[in-house]
Amino acid sequence: MPNPYIPILTKVKSIISENKVNDIKTIELQFQKEDDYKSFDYIPGQFAEISIIGKGECPIGIASSPTEEGSIKFTIKKMGTVTSMFHRSDIGDTIGVRGPLGNGWPIEELKGKNIVVIGGGFAFSTLRSLILYILDEKHRKDYGNVTVIYGNRDSGEVLYRDVLEEWEKRDDIDVVLTIDREEEGWTRKVGFVAAIVKEVAPSPDNAVAIICGPPIMIRTAVDELVKIGWKDEQILNSLEMRMKCGIGKCGRCNIGSKYVCIDGPVFSLAELKKMPNEY
Amino acid sequence: MDEKLLKKSDISKLFNEVKDEYNFYAPKKVRGNISFELISDAKEIELDYLNSKVPPKDVLFPQKETIFEYHYEGKDVIIDERKDLEDKLLIFGVRPCDAYSFKLLEDFFAFGEFQDDVFLKKRENATIIGIGCNEPRQSCFCTSVGGHPYQKESTDVFLSDLGDYYLVETITEKGKDLVKKLSWLTDAKKGDVEKSKALAKQAEESFTTKFNFDLVTKVLDENFENPVWEEIAESCIGCSSCTFLCPTCTCFDVIDENDEYNHRGRRIRIWDTCQSCLYTLETSGHNPRPEKIQRCRNRIMHKFSYYPSNYDRLGCVGCGRCIVACPVNNELRLIIDKILEIEQKEEGEKANA
Repeated sequence: MPNPYIPILTKVKSIISENKVNDIKTIELQFQKEDDYKSFDYIPGQFAEISIIGKGECPIGIASSPTEEGSIKFTIKKMGTVTSMFHRSDIGDTIGVRGPLGNGWPIEELKGKNIVVIGGGFAFSTLRSLILYILDEKHRKDYGNVTVIYGNRDSGEVLYRDVLEEWEKRDDIDVVLTIDREEEGWTRKVGFVAAIVKEVAPSPDNAVAIICGPPIMIRTAVDELVKIGWKDEQILNSLEMRMKCGIGKCGRCNIGSKYVCIDGPVFSLAELKKMPNEY
Repeated sequence: MDEKLLKKSDISKLFNEVKDEYNFYAPKKVRGNISFELISDAKEIELDYLNSKVPPKDVLFPQKETIFEYHYEGKDVIIDERKDLEDKLLIFGVRPCDAYSFKLLEDFFAFGEFQDDVFLKKRENATIIGIGCNEPRQSCFCTSVGGHPYQKESTDVFLSDLGDYYLVETITEKGKDLVKKLSWLTDAKKGDVEKSKALAKQAEESFTTKFNFDLVTKVLDENFENPVWEEIAESCIGCSSCTFLCPTCTCFDVIDENDEYNHRGRRIRIWDTCQSCLYTLETSGHNPRPEKIQRCRNRIMHKFSYYPSNYDRLGCVGCGRCIVACPVNNELRLIIDKILEIEQKEEGEKANA
């Protein structure tokens, strides 16, 4: 087994600016060797430690779906040293990748279930991966109804407009987009995600809710679900935590005896309630 | 008789015999403190010590070490992996608690899907010469964590200090290979072995610090939210001496040291500590453990609750370094007492009810 601290080297294939203020970019990476790509065998919801060698490394959720073959994508918000360097990178630059890491969304357990995806802001990346995976013709029959509720502060912050428009046209997925305040030209919903969850009122029957977003959105959306009969076991979250190694060794992402990097990042609300409130 | 005798005056002979084959680490006095250092001259080896200030952990998991080196060729990066991980190491004079810590480190770094090769390769190539403790320190408590001043776990050769000479016991195949090279060792007599056993018993009886850790783990599991943590954290100044000197602490940070002008550099790992607020601080500003109370609690819970739940044994070897090192005397013995008082209070309340 290769040394897990040595990154696989990839090249930047494309860069897309995702929002109006231009602080979120999706970077597409191309593996240099076919074997490297094959060994990067991932499922939606996993993450990778990506690095600009010489500047540093950071954990980022994988935004592409394994069904989009040939490359992998990461959506990166400009926040600290390393993410700012990613925003300065050019096509052809070398990027180190270690992964896939973490447990990912339980795609096997989700089979046969209705899926309710609730996302807010730029935490939508691994949700994009999951939805694309489910909608792929090889997998669509394995899953029930798919409902997506995706909220943003304003229309300029909505990520992945190209795929969202495609999904809106399909009849095997319900897409509900919302922004916080009225805006000229916006024809979808207006209101916080929790209010839209209340309005849509997804049925908990044979269903799983998958929630990613800012903590306040998660809390309020979960409250609404619980009110209409959802159980803690049916609600899945993906956590973020400061990490260095991503493989359970550097220590800092522990919540009690669990490590977000290897035991998570996906936990059910039932699991989270058993863990100390240190995340 | 399998046991041999090594005269203390022959340590230099031993060193000269094996120094070409092994990187030889032994206790050495550096600025008044004992630590395990790479020895280049047998005279540097210090034989009269209770234990080192910094644990021998840092031979296998140094405070700062290279993960890999790299250089840029245009936009391409070439990664140069470490070649020295295959070097044979010999660590002389490791106390039983520290030798046992190697077992814990080994299990930790091998745990799960990902193997920490940087540590494990070095561990595999290391031969450990352990040495029994005739005079446990007042702060030592290895017998409370399943250890013993003469425990031989994780050693390849084990020495008993019999005054002018050591009794040499071969524990593993690796140890056998080493002892074979020292053909000049004399055979031990029955009396020497008995003397070693008597010293072991005497040492065991001399412990003053004793804990019931089964009870500690139970109380910890039930008292994450107990107000006692405020009391425990109150005097802590967050200096992190307890974690930096702990033979079982494994946390590290990863940093790229870039030599911009020469288009090269290295990725290093460097000891980190859960006692620092920066340890968990996220770029967004959110911090899961922003207060001292959470950080103090994390250290104690990790050693005596989280670690046992993952590995079915305590994450502490009883070396007592954190007790000695704490500059404000907020030391483990007092912390454990406070934790056990929770249970006593509860029982007292039950009795009164």
